[in-house]
Amino acid sequence: MEITRFQIIFIIGLMAFAVRALPQLFFVGERFPEAWDRWLRYLSYGFICSIISVTLFMAGGRIETAAAPRRAIALALAIVVAYRTKSAVTGMLSGAVLVLILARLL
Amino acid sequence: MSFAARFRQGMKAAIPIWIAFVPSSIAWGIAAQDHGLSLAEVVLMSAWVYSGPAQFAVLGPLAEGKSALQVLIAGFLMNLRFLPMSTALAPFFRGVKRSQLLLASHVISASSFIVPYVQFQKERAPTGADSARAPDLDGYGRLAFFLGVGVTSFLVWVTGTASGFLAAFGFPPGFEEALKFILPGYFAGLLVVEMKGWAMPLICFGSLVAALPGAVVSPGWGWLVTAIVVATLGCGIEEWKLRGSR
Repeated sequence: MEITRFQIIFIIGLMAFAVRALPQLFFVGERFPEAWDRWLRYLSYGFICSIISVTLFMAGGRIETAAAPRRAIALALAIVVAYRTKSAVTGMLSGAVLVLILARLL
Repeated sequence: MSFAARFRQGMKAAIPIWIAFVPSSIAWGIAAQDHGLSLAEVVLMSAWVYSGPAQFAVLGPLAEGKSALQVLIAGFLMNLRFLPMSTALAPFFRGVKRSQLLLASHVISASSFIVPYVQFQKERAPTGADSARAPDLDGYGRLAFFLGVGVTSFLVWVTGTASGFLAAFGFPPGFEEALKFILPGYFAGLLVVEMKGWAMPLICFGSLVAALPGAVVSPGWGWLVTAIVVATLGCGIEEWKLRGSR
C-alpha cells in the first residue's frame, strides 16, 4: 500500500508528539537528582548546537564548503553581539545582515 | 499571580521568538511551495509537526518522493531533541493534570524550551539550590508562562508558513542566505545569553564542532550521537570536578 505525503506528515507529527508528550506523562512533578537535571540540560543544549551546525553548514549530507566560511563568520558575530548586548535578537540580526553582505560580496 | 497574568508574562518573554520566527516561517512556506507541497500539507506540517529544523530536513526527501521510511526516520531523529527538553521541563509542572500537559507539550520547541526553562530556574533557586531542595512553586503558574511563550510562538510559526506559501514573493538574490541564518542564529544567541560557568560553553562549542564530522559519517543520526557524547563527557567532567572540590 502506497503511503501518501499527507499520511507521512501525519506520522512524523505523531512521532514528534510522542517524543514531546511521553516525558510529561511519566516525569511530571518528579524531582531529579542534581546530576541528572544537569545532564538533561546539557543534552538539550548539545542537541540545539548540533542542529545549528547541521542547519547552517550542511546540505544533502555534505558540508556546504562555499557558503560555510561566511556563515561561520556571521555565526561568530551573532554570538559575540548576543553575548555583549545580552540580546539574542540583536545577535541574530547582526549575523543575518553580515551573512547577507558577505553573500553579495563573495 | 493569576493564570492570565502569568500567560501575559510568557507572551512578553516570547516577543524575541516571534521576531525570529516570522522570517524563518515565511522562508519555510516559500521553500515548501518551491518543493511542490500544497497549502493543506504546509499548514498540517507546521501545525502538527511544529519543528523548524525537522520541517526543513524532510522537505527535500518528501518532495523527491523518497521512501516513506527514509522520510519518517529523518523527521524522527530531528525531533528526538524534544525528549530531553520535555523531560527537563516536566518537574516544573507539579500538580498539573496530565491531560492538560499532554496538550501543552505539543508546543515544546527549542525556543519555547529555553525561555521558560531559564525563567523557571531563576524562580526556583535564588540561592542555587538543587531540584531536590527546591521550594514548591505553582505548577499551573509555570504552565501559564510556558503556554504564553509556546502557544503564541506556535501561532506565529503556523501563520508565517501559510503566509510564506501564499505570498511566495521572490526575494532578491542572496536574501535566502539571511533567511537560512535567522533560526540557527537566534538559537545560538539564546544559548549565549544564558551561558554560565565553563561546562556549558564547552559543551555547546564541542557539540557545534563535532556535529559536522558526525553528520558527514551519518547524516541521520551522527550529529545526535556526537551531541550525546559531548554532553555526557562535559557533564561527567563537571561532576568529577565538583566531587573533587567537596
